[in-house]
Amino acid sequence: MYSSMIGGLKVTQNQASKMIGKQSRSFVYDAFVLFFHVRADCVKRRYIHKMVKEEQPESVNRPDNTAFTQQRLPAWQPMLSAGIIIPGFVLIGLAFIGIGVALFVTSRSIQMLEMDYTGYEQNSPCFKCSDESVKNCMCNLDFNIDTLFKGPVFFYYGLSNYFQNFRRYGVSKDLDQLSGDMDAFLDPTSDCAPYQYDGNNKPIVPCGAVANSMFNDTFKLYQIVKGVKKLVPLDGKGIAWWTDYNIKYRNPTVKPLKNAFNGTVKPLNWPKPAYELDPSDPANNGFINQDFLVWLRTAALPNFSKLYRRITEGDYAEGLPAGNYSLEIAYNYPVLSFDGRKKVVFSNVSWMGGKNEFLGIAYLVIGSMCVVMSIVMLIVYAKFKFPEED
Amino acid sequence: MATQSVESDFSWEVKANSHHCHKDKLKKSFLCFHWGRYSDNVVRSYKYSPLTFLPLMLFEQFQRVANFYYLLMVTLQCVPIISTIPWYIAMIPLLAVLIVRGLKDFANDMARRRSDSQINTRPCDILISQRFNAARWKDLCVGDIVRIHKDQVIPADLLLLCSSENHSLCYVETADIDGETNLKYRQALDVTHSELTCHPSEESLAAFDGVVFCEEPNNRLYIFRGELHWQGQCHLLDNEHILLRGTVLRNTEFAYGLTLYAGTDTKILKNCGKLTVKKTQMEKVFNRLVIGIVLGVLLIAACLAIGSCIFSSQVMSLTEDLYFLVVNGNPVYTGFIAMWSYVLLLSPAMPVALYISFDLIHTVHSLFINWDLEMYWQEADKPAQARNTSLNEELGQVEYLLSDKTGTLTQNRLLLRQCCIAGEIYGDVSISAEDMEPMDLSWNPFSCGTLFMSAPSLVENLRGQQCPLSSQFFKALSLCHTVMAEWKEERPVYQAASPDEEALVGAARELGWVFLSRTRDFVVVSELGVTRQYQLLALLDFTSKRRRMSVLVREPEGGLKLYCKGADMVILERLQKDIPFQERTERALELFSQSCLRTLCVAVRSVPEASWEQWRKTLTRSATMATCDRDALLEKLYDQMETELLLLGVTAIEDRLQDGVPETISLLQHAGIKVWVLTGDKKETAVNIGYSCKLLDADTRLLEWQELRQILQAPDPRVSFHKARQTEVWAVDKETARPKTAVVLTGAELVEFDQRPEWGAKFMSLASQCESVLCCRVTPGQKADIVTMVKKHTSSVTMVIGDGANDVNMIKTAHVGVGLAGVEGGQAVQNADFALSQFRFLQRLLLVHGRWSYRRISTFLRYFLFKTCSFALVHIWYGFFNGFSAQRLYETWFISLYIALYTSYPVMCMAFFEQDASAENSLKYPELYKTGQRRELSSPLMLSLSLVYALYASLILFFIPYGVFHDTAFDYQTMAVTVSMAATFTATIEIILVTRYWTKFNFSVVCVSVLLFFIFTRIFQSSRLFQNSPIDFFFVGVSEKAFLDPVVWLTALLTAWVAVLPSLTAHGLNIILTINNTHKVHSMSTQPVELKSKFSRGSFGRSSFAISQGAGAGRHITSATHIHSRDPPVDKKSQLE
Repeated sequence: MYSSMIGGLKVTQNQASKMIGKQSRSFVYDAFVLFFHVRADCVKRRYIHKMVKEEQPESVNRPDNTAFTQQRLPAWQPMLSAGIIIPGFVLIGLAFIGIGVALFVTSRSIQMLEMDYTGYEQNSPCFKCSDESVKNCMCNLDFNIDTLFKGPVFFYYGLSNYFQNFRRYGVSKDLDQLSGDMDAFLDPTSDCAPYQYDGNNKPIVPCGAVANSMFNDTFKLYQIVKGVKKLVPLDGKGIAWWTDYNIKYRNPTVKPLKNAFNGTVKPLNWPKPAYELDPSDPANNGFINQDFLVWLRTAALPNFSKLYRRITEGDYAEGLPAGNYSLEIAYNYPVLSFDGRKKVVFSNVSWMGGKNEFLGIAYLVIGSMCVVMSIVMLIVYAKFKFPEED
Repeated sequence: MATQSVESDFSWEVKANSHHCHKDKLKKSFLCFHWGRYSDNVVRSYKYSPLTFLPLMLFEQFQRVANFYYLLMVTLQCVPIISTIPWYIAMIPLLAVLIVRGLKDFANDMARRRSDSQINTRPCDILISQRFNAARWKDLCVGDIVRIHKDQVIPADLLLLCSSENHSLCYVETADIDGETNLKYRQALDVTHSELTCHPSEESLAAFDGVVFCEEPNNRLYIFRGELHWQGQCHLLDNEHILLRGTVLRNTEFAYGLTLYAGTDTKILKNCGKLTVKKTQMEKVFNRLVIGIVLGVLLIAACLAIGSCIFSSQVMSLTEDLYFLVVNGNPVYTGFIAMWSYVLLLSPAMPVALYISFDLIHTVHSLFINWDLEMYWQEADKPAQARNTSLNEELGQVEYLLSDKTGTLTQNRLLLRQCCIAGEIYGDVSISAEDMEPMDLSWNPFSCGTLFMSAPSLVENLRGQQCPLSSQFFKALSLCHTVMAEWKEERPVYQAASPDEEALVGAARELGWVFLSRTRDFVVVSELGVTRQYQLLALLDFTSKRRRMSVLVREPEGGLKLYCKGADMVILERLQKDIPFQERTERALELFSQSCLRTLCVAVRSVPEASWEQWRKTLTRSATMATCDRDALLEKLYDQMETELLLLGVTAIEDRLQDGVPETISLLQHAGIKVWVLTGDKKETAVNIGYSCKLLDADTRLLEWQELRQILQAPDPRVSFHKARQTEVWAVDKETARPKTAVVLTGAELVEFDQRPEWGAKFMSLASQCESVLCCRVTPGQKADIVTMVKKHTSSVTMVIGDGANDVNMIKTAHVGVGLAGVEGGQAVQNADFALSQFRFLQRLLLVHGRWSYRRISTFLRYFLFKTCSFALVHIWYGFFNGFSAQRLYETWFISLYIALYTSYPVMCMAFFEQDASAENSLKYPELYKTGQRRELSSPLMLSLSLVYALYASLILFFIPYGVFHDTAFDYQTMAVTVSMAATFTATIEIILVTRYWTKFNFSVVCVSVLLFFIFTRIFQSSRLFQNSPIDFFFVGVSEKAFLDPVVWLTALLTAWVAVLPSLTAHGLNIILTINNTHKVHSMSTQPVELKSKFSRGSFGRSSFAISQGAGAGRHITSATHIHSRDPPVDKKSQLE
């Protein structure tokens, strides 16, 4: 009798394993069942009702005996205990601390030079230009570098208290226009207002506040070698996003480009029309001008920087050697009227991009918090488990 | 003069045979105008007509706060300056909700129409121009005369004019009205009986031109007052003359009746209550929450609008270049626009999807109930049925279970299981009636095999005539009763006014003492094959006060014998002194009462001829006296006769309970559910059932009306209640055993509650300390009133279970109504929210499905709030860094897809499958159920905690990316993708923490959801879509770049981790601190619920006497109004002898 019981047990085990196999195979079916069981059930019932009415009328309504309908689906129920949670917290905390250390060290290794040139203070070299009435003002920002500034060096301009993320500002452009749709040239979207038409009711291209407010300070960097200014070549190619340059913004297919702009006017604040943005490189004009593209990619927060140039060529491919430098600034962009600030930033990059100390510190803090938490939990656990010994 | 005043009371006038006169005055209605006086006999339980469907449905839909709110949101989306998504997309979810709900309502209404038409087309015979025509119920009109056949349901409230039986008596079964299955007598007025009974009766009936004046339609089932004016005379009418709609005509070939009230005017429909849409507690909390969140959103939006105002005016004061940032150059107007933009931006905190998911989850939970094999009743092929799919979580919060008795707790089958004759106990109650081996009774030609008592020794005694007492015992059973015999297929079929008597007479028949027939003066009994005729001298009737009945017979040999049966208390005090086996009998009584059998003592007395003569004279004299004096005298007379009795024995009848009732009740009580019994039956019966289903036990103190009244009248009921409990003598060990108390009330006493509304609260505070409350003799309306009282004075969820039409009203009234799909009548099921086949399935419905549903739904709700609020409230913080310009922090698509795709399926899966304890453990540890009763998971505190947590998460979701992206070259769109990613991760980690039961669906859905986020983000930011529609897909190329950027990943992960850290810590601490509790649930130990039958106090605690018999049956017998003239077929065997 005992052996037959064992045999019976074996059979059921086999059946069970078969059933499990079947269940995993019929996964899709089960998923289907989950959402369509009602209908299937109804249809089936009707069918059974017709077919088997005479034979077995008494069990027509019997529900299906499946793991799903009986809520007996095999499931994993994680049995968490202090033995898993406390070490878990420690491990995660340590992992965070590890990442934090890596980030922090990397960030520390990045060289960065930041210089405000708003000309807010009187002793600032650009103070003379801060008055808006002065046109075509130039100022020089002199600085020196102690050690080699490893290349490739990225040259950014930065703005503060500048709300590029303001909703009405952000929508103030015509995407159809900017993707080369000629119809939108003559009839810009009303989102662009008040930079939709000029005073003569001529359409503005590119219309809107974003284009109109394009950053137009220009910079030239010189290394002063033995009193002689040596121009550092700045590489303005490929500073915009690939998708922006190739997909998102397109010039009209009209050749020459200038003709496409017939009957339109340039944005009010622009000195030159869009098709003449870069006289040196005809391919860098219109809506796919790199600087324009960088400007169009609006910032998330009121303090931001944008890539201006890269220093990758000639003698400076390895970086900026130690020495004295002079930055010649064509100061055109007024920011003091809204209490803004302008700055230039030189920085090299690592795997994590530009310098970012916050992330590393945040990881370190959270990692340590997890470890501290695990210690607290351990104490609580000990007190709870051995209350007698206290 | 007196008649004048009465007449003014009786304003309802019904003229017999004047169809047209009444037809003109039928009630009609158009829109909300009603006119006319008499209802037609059509049942209309549907809500909508084709014309009113749309407006009514919409009106009902927009009564939900949420729907109205969404309508407002959609309207706002139509304003271009503030819209976040195109209005046609915003419409879709709301339209979907409205259409789905509308279709559901429509389907329900159609089902109601179908069941109505089923009832309305039942056949009946109406007298039209001197002929009875087959018609349908709906054709019946007030004033019509109808013919009811045997076993037909009575279509309207009728005045009985005459019937096929002598004296125009007829029998009705009122099971659908009061749950009693014994037959009741109704008798026509003498005048109508004598004038209208002739063959053929059509002519005389058609000529009948009486006018009935009676009360306006009302819901008092047991009271009717009116008068019949006919042939210049006025006859008073009362309840005895009325056949109520819903009752069934039995044992009467046919009866003729005049329709007095039809359709909605009938007493049963007046008792039915109104159909109301039930709302769950959760839904109420939920609605409040919606209002709270909406107000919160408005408030926040207003604050942000003020910020926008200030920012605008600052900008304007700075430079003219930036004027374009201010709408129309007006800061206040800009603020106003910003406010509505923010309302829209924050509205995803309460998405429509929540309602859709809510409905879907409810539906799936209901399907699980329908599919449960453990609640499938094989014998009737009936699975459980969730008819109302929106009350599931309510099942997990029930605190009061109010149950009907007949058909719900009991099977309404009475069986003689034991008896005690001369101190000797026969039969064994430990074996259930089904498992018992039937005795060989083939020697008895009258045996039908309906005896469920196994006592071979008794049969031997009886057949061998060895024990005169046992013969006397069964002779008493076959003589002392008011049963009538009807002959069918050569066998007597008994018709009794009480099922107890039927069981006793039936048992006597099985053992050889066969009651054959009775005439006015004689009772014929076959004793072991010998037919004997006893002269019936007197029948001392049963009343609830006397609690006994006797017959005085002259034996064929000439002796006078009084046979008496009644309650033990009453009989024992009327016995002769020094009976040899009194002590043993008392012990037997105690034993029977422990087994919860209904006992009756049977006794006999030889009456000397002289005392009979004297007694008879007094009796005849009393007949001429006034009613009230006569009653008192009769009582005294009866008392004189019923003395010096010789105790024969005790019968023990089992009122068969439904399967598993005591276990279920005990389990539910362990789960903290208070079980009340509401029945139309008698007090003794109810109390006895209370004992047998373990609702009461021997140490339970019964608090009856007198005492209860004193307590209620006392200034501080609690104090006096405790006093009342403490003064108990029998509470031997007060320290250990908390005295249990149960309240017993009757319908008549409940009426006083109407007059004293302040008692309700007092009573409920008392009742909350009692084990149970038994309400007897209550009408359907009162049952509903009790439910209303419980609902009004406690915040608890009430559940009602019942099987008959008399339970319909309370089923509709309770928070959750359960209908037992019994043998007859589907009315309870039709109106119930859940239909079960067995009472015991209730434990699974409540403790498993209800508990799971509650847990799943409240977890779902809290999680959903967290995920939507944390994601939407980010915009508040972002507002401080974009000049309060209502700039979005997400791509438009993400806002709709986050709710619809990325985070909805894991939580749905959780809400479908989550199990914190298996079904077995849920039943094993009923205490787990209390979580739901205390609303631990859905309390306002828990919900506000979720909100606070969501607020915290939203802060983290914004400020960590802010810290990272501040003053860097990262653009707005990259930050948007990073925050979206962090929000998705947060929601996913949180659901991983919440889910405790990981089926393959949960696993796959969680993985798929996260994958979907990446896939869809990539698709929606792909160049192909951008080229098709630049304005809709202007995030082109962002994810391509962002998903490869380590800073984006590290930021998203850190943000998500910090956002869920509190939840994680809370979970961790919870596990560490409640380590013992979890083990208790998941592993063994602690003893499971077992039935404790503690009858150990050692004293004879109570009488288990119960008989469901009303007074007055004997009157008919002695007046011989219902004795059949047919003679019994005389047994051949006895003739030979």
